[in-house]
Amino acid sequence: MENLFFEFFQNTGFFLCDYRNIVMILIGIIFIYLGIAKHYEPLLLVPIGFGMLIGNIPIFHGLGLGIYEDNSVLHYLYFGVTSGIYPPLVFLGIGAMTDFSTLLARPVLMILGAAAQTGIFLTFLGALALGFEPNQASAIGIIGGADGPTAIFLTAKLAPALIGPIAVAAYSYMALVPVIQPPIMKLLTSRKERLIRMEEPREVSKREKMIFPIIAFLLCCFLAPAALPLLGMLCFGNLLKEAVVTERLAHTARNAIIDTATILLGMTVGASTQGDVFLTGQSVGIFVLGAFSFCIATACGLIFAKIMNLFLKTKINPLLGAAGVSAVPDSARVVQMVGQEEDPTNFLLMHAMAPNVSGVIGSAIAAGVLWSLMV
Amino acid sequence: MYGLEAISANNGWSIAVVGITIVFTGLVMLSFCISRLHRVIDFLEKFPDRKERAAKKKADKAMKKNGGVPAFTGAEKESAKQYRLLARTMADHFSLPRLLHLAEISGLDKPHSRLNMLLEAGIINPDTEGYYTWDLDLYRKIVDRADKDK
Repeated sequence: MENLFFEFFQNTGFFLCDYRNIVMILIGIIFIYLGIAKHYEPLLLVPIGFGMLIGNIPIFHGLGLGIYEDNSVLHYLYFGVTSGIYPPLVFLGIGAMTDFSTLLARPVLMILGAAAQTGIFLTFLGALALGFEPNQASAIGIIGGADGPTAIFLTAKLAPALIGPIAVAAYSYMALVPVIQPPIMKLLTSRKERLIRMEEPREVSKREKMIFPIIAFLLCCFLAPAALPLLGMLCFGNLLKEAVVTERLAHTARNAIIDTATILLGMTVGASTQGDVFLTGQSVGIFVLGAFSFCIATACGLIFAKIMNLFLKTKINPLLGAAGVSAVPDSARVVQMVGQEEDPTNFLLMHAMAPNVSGVIGSAIAAGVLWSLMV
Repeated sequence: MYGLEAISANNGWSIAVVGITIVFTGLVMLSFCISRLHRVIDFLEKFPDRKERAAKKKADKAMKKNGGVPAFTGAEKESAKQYRLLARTMADHFSLPRLLHLAEISGLDKPHSRLNMLLEAGIINPDTEGYYTWDLDLYRKIVDRADKDK
C-alpha cells in the first residue's frame, strides 16, 4: 500500500514540479491580477493567465493531457491557434464592432495607421541583427502592430514554435499601452502640439459606411492577397454591421463568435507557455524586441503626424499618430488621456479612432506582406 | 551571424523597404478612394434629380412649342383616349379612385402614371365637391393636334 501511495505521489504535481512551472504560474497569477484588479485588457489577460495555470500544472507525459501531446483535448483546442483559425474569427467580430465613420470623415488620418506599421519592419531588422531566422524575425516584428490576433496568425504561419512567447508579449504590451505610450508621446511632442484641437468631422452617410468594407477589402487584398484571411473577415464583419438587414448575423459575430474565439485563443495560448518551452533565452529576446517594436511603432506614428503637419493647412494633433498602433481602442483612449492632461476640454478620442482602426488594416496588410515574402 | 551582416545576408533591407512601401501604398490608395467616395455617392444620389429636371425641361420646351398645350407622345395620347372612354361611362363629376380602378381592370398601360399625367396636364381637374371633371376642350386640343400632326 505504501508503494502504491509512493507511486501515486510520484505522479502528482508536487513531485513533478519544476521551478519554471512555478515561475510561469506566478506570471499567470500576475496576468489574472492585472486583468481583474487593474482592468488591463481583462478579456485577454484573464483567459491567458488562467491558461498559463492550466499549461503549467506538472504532468507526466503519456497521459494525453498536455497541450503538446497528440490527441489531448488541449491539443485539439490549440489546433485553432496553430492552424490560424481563431484570429480570423476574432477579426470577424472586430469588424462587426468597428465604426469606420471617423476614418471615412477624415481619410488622411489613415496614413498615420500606415506610419505606425514602420515599427514592424524596423523590429524585423533588429531581430535579424540579433541572429533570429527571417521567418522568426517577421513574427517578432509583428508584435509592433499591437494586434494580438494578427501576431498569432502570422506566427502560426511562420514560426509556430514561438507562438507562446510572441502571443504573451503581444498581449502584455497591448495591456500595457497606458504605461508604455504616454512617456513616448510626451517626449516627442511639445505642449503646444498636444493642445491642438481637431476639426469637427463631417457627417458620414450610411451608404458610405456600407460601401467602405467592400472597397477596402478589394483594394487591400488585390494588393496584398496574403492579408485575405484577416482583412476578409474584418471587412465581412463590418459589412454585416453596416448592412442593417444582417443585424442578427452581426450581433452573433460581435458577441458569441468573438467571445468564443477569444476564450479559446487566450486560454490555449496561455496553456502553450509551459515553463520548459517558454522560459528560454529566446523568449527574453522576443520580449525585449517586442517592447522595442511597440515603442518604435508609437514613435513612428507621432513623428509622421508631425511631418504631415508641415504640409497640412489644418493642423492635426500629433498625439493621434500614437493611435496608429492597432491596439483598439486602448491606444485611442491613451491619446484622449494624454491630450486631456493638457486641456481637459479637448476631446481627441473620436479622432484617434481613425488612425486606430486604420492601424488594424495596416497591421493585417503588413502581416500579409511578411507572410508572402517569407513563404 | 549577427548585426548588419545578418540583415544583408537575409535580404532584410529589401524586405523592410518593400514591406513599408506596400503598407503605405495600400493605405494611401484606400485613403484616396474613400476621400472621393462621398462625392461619387452624392453625384449618384443627385443623378435621378438631374434626369428628372432634364425631362421636365424637355417637356416645357415641347409645351412652349405647342402653344402652351402639353405635348403627349403617341403612347400617352393613346392612354388619354382610353381614359376618355372610361370617363364617358361615368358621370360628369366622377370619382378618381373609381376611374383608376376601371383603368386597372381594363388593363391600361401604366394606369397610375398615366392618370397622374392627365392630372398634371390639366385634362382632369378637381371640383369643389371632392370629385373630378374632364376638360374636353383641352383634351381635344392635345389629342387633335397630335392627330393633325400625323
